[in-house]
Amino acid sequence: MQIYLPIAELSMNLFFLVGIGGAVGFLSGLFGVGGGFLLTPLLIFSGVPSPVAVASVTGQVAAASTSGALSYYRRDGIDLHLALYLILSSTIGAMAGVATFSLLRSIGQLDLFISVSYLLLLGFVGSLMMAEAVQTLLRRRAGVVIRDKLPSQHSWMHGLPMRIRFKKSRLYISVIPVLVIGVFIGWVGALLGIGGGFILVPALVYLLRVPANVVVGTSLLQVVAMMCVTTILQALTSQSVDVLLAFCLMVGGTVGAQFGASAGKYLRGDQLRALLALLVLAVAIRFGLSLVLAPSDPFSMAVLTSAGAAG
Amino acid sequence: MTRAFLVAVALLLAALPARAEKLASTVSSATVQITSSFEGTTLSLFGTIEPDIFGMPLIGPYNVIVVVTGPLQDRVTRLKTNSWGIWTNTDQVVFRQFPSFYNVLASGKLDLIASPEVLDGQNILPIAQAEAASTEGATPKATRFGTELVRLMTQQAHFAVREDAVRFLSDTAYVAQVTLPSDVTNGPFLAHTYVLKDRRVVAEHTEGFSVRKAGFENFVFVASRQQPLLYGIACVILALGTGWLAGVVFRR
Repeated sequence: MQIYLPIAELSMNLFFLVGIGGAVGFLSGLFGVGGGFLLTPLLIFSGVPSPVAVASVTGQVAAASTSGALSYYRRDGIDLHLALYLILSSTIGAMAGVATFSLLRSIGQLDLFISVSYLLLLGFVGSLMMAEAVQTLLRRRAGVVIRDKLPSQHSWMHGLPMRIRFKKSRLYISVIPVLVIGVFIGWVGALLGIGGGFILVPALVYLLRVPANVVVGTSLLQVVAMMCVTTILQALTSQSVDVLLAFCLMVGGTVGAQFGASAGKYLRGDQLRALLALLVLAVAIRFGLSLVLAPSDPFSMAVLTSAGAAG
Repeated sequence: MTRAFLVAVALLLAALPARAEKLASTVSSATVQITSSFEGTTLSLFGTIEPDIFGMPLIGPYNVIVVVTGPLQDRVTRLKTNSWGIWTNTDQVVFRQFPSFYNVLASGKLDLIASPEVLDGQNILPIAQAEAASTEGATPKATRFGTELVRLMTQQAHFAVREDAVRFLSDTAYVAQVTLPSDVTNGPFLAHTYVLKDRRVVAEHTEGFSVRKAGFENFVFVASRQQPLLYGIACVILALGTGWLAGVVFRR
């Protein structure tokens, strides 16, 4: 059944949209990430114009993360104080991201930038996660007892000025790295149409030493808030949020995420991280190949402005 | 003085093409409404060739070319080249006010039914549209990018030359069919019809139709353009609501 998307101005198969939303939602529920880094490239690959794909996926990520964030909130698994700082700084980052998005689009290098960013970001994060997960798996096999890093272990970042006490995370750290992480996540998220959960969780764990019981919940809340801000910013500036496209993806995504979360209980944490690392690396390689391999058609076209389109 | 005037009138009359035909034509729907189940559509353009002066006999055979042009857009064609092992867009040509849709429908082979002067003079062929819209004039580069643009537009079913799309119902009545793809650009369309005899244009006529979203699709589109803030907030509420609902439904 075809459905006409009024902002993208093309019709797509309804079941296809709900289906990829559901499949990506399943993975996002399984791994506790938003799934934007999978969904945006999938949509672009299926023919949705990249501005519409990036802007609409933000709505889907917000929806997929909301149910997760709510359940963590009920279990008292969110550091609201820390989340507030992250949300404020990432809002500034998101504004910069949307502005950069418009700039790149106007000079015609948006596709290149998105490809290179995905390659570097996903390649880097994926390799780190893979190395860590493989190490843990090998150690477990060798029978070594693994002791998680204690949250009290400090790095040089914590010693910077303007220290603030985050009670729930049991941290007394400088606010500067918190804000820097927030701005960066906001910028990348708005630019690439990803929630950034897969960057934020490692950053909170390894850089800020946020304890495990609040890290996922706090990250989810921050993703929800930032995706909401980004959706509104995209609606205002690029006007390319397709609400029908976003809704189809949301319906699939939220349902898929619930099944993914149940399936996740049957796998160990290190196994999950290894699988997620594989997935992230696969997407990175896909983007890498598109840069290196000769394109099937060296010529491409794009619309600069729509002069005739009206109600 | 009078004599000079008469000569002038005589010259003027001689210069005017002796037109014996006129064209009456119409399009099957003046507005194409896009609804949620829109998958593209086919329109029919009907016409009859009539004598300009009542009772004058029409001597055929006639041929018809219909040029359907969609809303104009600024478009860019880019070329990827390999520099340092990476494929990037390195060269581009901008085409201003270039049609988003362009179909040439004809009742026979264009070369056979129209003279080169007609095809070139009226800018009938798709490549002429690219040449007219190019911001870099008619340089070899602009021509190359224009040819590629026409090829890309043809691949996406927005451009076409269909030499069998006009069918004659009688000696003087015809029907032309044009297919609009599902991702057709919304806006005003023009259908310009040429009637040809002995490879020359003997009558022409232009009519318009419009493609626009209807009902809910139109409401969404207008809202996103005229009330972007409210539209964005509505999207956010929808997202939060969907997420919350899914959490409630699946909570055990």
